[in-house]
Amino acid sequence: MPVLSILILLPLIGALVVGLLPTRRTELVYPIAIGMSIPPLAVVLYILWNFTAGDAGFQFGEHIVLVESFGISWTLAVDGISLFMIALTALLFPISIAASHSITDRAKTYMVLMLILETGVLGVFLALDLFVFFAFFEIVLIPMYMLISMWGSENRAYASLKFVLFTAVGSAFLLASIVSLGVLTGDQLGTIADFDFRNMLQVDLSSTTGLLLFLGFGIAFAIKVPLFPFHTWLPDAHTEAPTAGSVILAGVLLKMGTYGFLRFNLTLFPQAAVDLAIPLAILGVIGVVYGAAVAIVQPDIKRLIAYSSVSHMGFIVLGTFALTSQGLSGSVVLMISHGLTTGALFLLIGMIYERTHTRKIADYGGLAKVMPVYAGIFLFSAFASAGLPGLSGFVGEFTILIGSYLTLPVLTIIAGSGVILAAIYLLWAYERVFTGPVTNSKLEALKDLGFREIVILAPLVLLVIGIGVYPKPVFDRVEPSVEIILDRIEATTDYEVPEFGRNADVVDVDYGPVSELRERVNGEGN
Amino acid sequence: MQNAALLPVAFEVIQLVGALLILLVAVVAGKERKIWAPIAGVTFLASAGAGVLQWRDVSEGAGGLFFSTQEIVIMRSPMVVMDGLSAFAAIVLGLVGFVALLGSWDLVVRLGKRSAEFVALALLAFAGLHMMTVTPNLVVIFVGLETASISFYVLAGFLRGSRRSDEAALKYFLLGSLASAMFLYGVALTFAATGSLTIYGANSVRDFFSFTIITEPGILLVGLALMLVGLFFKVSAAPFHQWAPDVYQGAPSGAVGLMAAGVKIAGFAALARIFVGGFISQIDTWAPIVAVIAALSMVVGTTMALVQKDLKRLLAYSGVAHAGYLLATMVGGIEGVPPMWFYVSTYAFMIVGAFTIVSVVRGPDSVEAPVDSFKGLAKRSPEMGWLLAIFMFGMSGMPFFAGFVGKVFAFVVAGDAGYLWLVVIGTLTTVIGFAFYLRVVSVIFSSGDDDDDKVYSSLSARFAVVISAVVTVFFGIVPWPLLDVVREALPL
Repeated sequence: MPVLSILILLPLIGALVVGLLPTRRTELVYPIAIGMSIPPLAVVLYILWNFTAGDAGFQFGEHIVLVESFGISWTLAVDGISLFMIALTALLFPISIAASHSITDRAKTYMVLMLILETGVLGVFLALDLFVFFAFFEIVLIPMYMLISMWGSENRAYASLKFVLFTAVGSAFLLASIVSLGVLTGDQLGTIADFDFRNMLQVDLSSTTGLLLFLGFGIAFAIKVPLFPFHTWLPDAHTEAPTAGSVILAGVLLKMGTYGFLRFNLTLFPQAAVDLAIPLAILGVIGVVYGAAVAIVQPDIKRLIAYSSVSHMGFIVLGTFALTSQGLSGSVVLMISHGLTTGALFLLIGMIYERTHTRKIADYGGLAKVMPVYAGIFLFSAFASAGLPGLSGFVGEFTILIGSYLTLPVLTIIAGSGVILAAIYLLWAYERVFTGPVTNSKLEALKDLGFREIVILAPLVLLVIGIGVYPKPVFDRVEPSVEIILDRIEATTDYEVPEFGRNADVVDVDYGPVSELRERVNGEGN
Repeated sequence: MQNAALLPVAFEVIQLVGALLILLVAVVAGKERKIWAPIAGVTFLASAGAGVLQWRDVSEGAGGLFFSTQEIVIMRSPMVVMDGLSAFAAIVLGLVGFVALLGSWDLVVRLGKRSAEFVALALLAFAGLHMMTVTPNLVVIFVGLETASISFYVLAGFLRGSRRSDEAALKYFLLGSLASAMFLYGVALTFAATGSLTIYGANSVRDFFSFTIITEPGILLVGLALMLVGLFFKVSAAPFHQWAPDVYQGAPSGAVGLMAAGVKIAGFAALARIFVGGFISQIDTWAPIVAVIAALSMVVGTTMALVQKDLKRLLAYSGVAHAGYLLATMVGGIEGVPPMWFYVSTYAFMIVGAFTIVSVVRGPDSVEAPVDSFKGLAKRSPEMGWLLAIFMFGMSGMPFFAGFVGKVFAFVVAGDAGYLWLVVIGTLTTVIGFAFYLRVVSVIFSSGDDDDDKVYSSLSARFAVVISAVVTVFFGIVPWPLLDVVREALPL
């Protein structure tokens, strides 16, 4: 059964169903859109259940040749890295659709765009043919652009165009690189071109070609991540987007960049990846510190969270280019965790914005007295985002720091300050918004979270705790896929992964809870 | 090799008969326009049908050269060639002509008494366009070029009362004649250098290179360059594009789609016929020139489109950029012909659809079409708003619209031929292109002051737009049926 094709098509079918609803029955749009976003989640649960943990290769593969002369095929498969990306996608879409209750203006169009967006994102994470991958990578722009430009706040026209143009500039380099690599692959296979990822792995690239192609792919993904100094579109887009748009942007769309680094840059161009690892890690660390520092002084709470994304994504890039097993698997875990925690924070901000129509921190104060449940969940999400032990953010960040300390100790120490800064900006924001006396009389009449809102937030909160306490199932599935990337790098370059950063000889060691991890670090020192 | 078979020239014959019939009916039955519509429609569809028959014959191996003139020794050469290129051109021109005429039917209705001329000229123009693709004789290509061009000069100036329309026609005529003259001069020099006017058959220009010892005869190079310039002008490649914005803007909105789409199809088919079919052995000489012109067209078209305030001018400059992407396929030689066909046939539908919407919103005999007048189109007429957005996405090269597949294949072919710098310029201009296409989209979806100012569209216009949109989306999502077909649409 072509599970993955079905998974990609389900949201599209949902979009069709929603689009064909009678115009007058507006009350049907919201429940049916939620209903249509559930089947993909069910399919993803099926895939999670049937995924063979410990298998490094691709699973659930599908391969249909589309255009033989140009070597284009419908090739889908899932491995330990993409597995959690599609899981995150399939989870966040129903949640953000459910959180779009307040969208009444052109609601049908809105839901159709959301479901099309889901198809695009799933395609990005599943496609192994680079032509198809690029098509999905690019198509995501249209619904996101329209979501921001039609339902965003005041400055939406500027923010949406900036978002598209920044991303599209990256896509231009990506397309040029994909075409070049496809032609080179075709040359060696005796056809015009070939875009199959597995065939591309076989191509011998000269070091210059590899470097140029790495940069071509890299610019596209760096803008998407966004890596400093390509990050300036992000605060605008996040701030102006409607709540669901921000959740999807931060939760899923940014991951397309880090996923691209892991899947394509490290695997296809190992030599260039090794050569450029340090500069990229430096950019990542600048992102960590800069994003956090700028977040501290933001007067707008949504913008604050947006800058915190820059900081967290910098961590992920650092972990990726540390080129160690822990760094890479930590990156994947932090990707998941960032999707959950930042998603929750954006949802929370959306919920309060619907009540007060202001995002200025200065307009709030003493909110904890009026909305205790809201304050509790906000504090929880803030802790999770700042990396409190026992929650998912800690697992990701800590594993990254271990992994990157092995190869990039100085950068790691600098990046460590990002954790402290995160605590500062999040807790200071919490203090100003929630503690103290109620300063604004308008706040006194606010209602606390309703049942619907708590149901929307509950899955995120539970998963944050779940991964934080028991991350083993995640690591079990991510690590083999990460190891195979490092294997390829070691096989094709002079680079050697430091012994502890290499998990090959300790595959049977149970990673288990984070506390054990710490013991192992100490043990290594003795 | 048969002589005097009718099928190879069926397209021209049918168009001619249709045009004459309409003129006749106009004289006999007066202003009874209702009869013309079926005649014109049937003519275009019959021409496309003839193309399908040609295609069948060609794929059965019955194609080849026809109408050889044995009597005149020096010009002993075939006049007509039936191959994948000419047969596919017939199908595409017939279908595009049909849809484009549907789109301009509002204008036909508005023109009243003079409308018979309009329809007849459109039919004649398409006969000329197809003649450019169906003959191996360079002089006959010129005859086809002139038949089409002169018809279009008249169509561009059809609104005699409007000064902008007059200006457009005059500009088109003056610059167009110059280009035609250059093309003819190029033909003459080619003849002088090779002693031949024909691409195929005995004593053809192709044979010339097999026995000459001069690898780069100077006169021939000048001839080739002049022929290139003539055709570059017709397909509005930079820097020979200056006429396009003025003509597109000045010509009646209802007629622009017809002109723009037809000329692009035939122009690129003729380029493929002459340069890929005839002078493929000289590809190292002409391909670099084509590549430079392609890059220039992409850059000039895209940057100029950025600053346009009029949608018709914007589409004209975007057409310049598209000419650049299409030229990029040419540097791939024979490999580039299938992507060229895919690109130009889908682009033709997009441009027809877009101009039909302009004509619906601004009126078929309108001249100016400021982008701001499309404000809130999605509310004033949801179907037209969404469909125009589809054409904008299609032209911008967004995935899952036909323009994306065309562009990527153009880049692949250019990259395969070693022109990676062209690929980089192409991808960058594509991105810059997003800026102006999306500007139009955001205007469509923004809320204007006159949201209640509903836009009404006639059935024929709606039909034309919907067909074009279906082509744009369908071949964007499932391009392979068309890709399989165009693989065979090669010059002999």
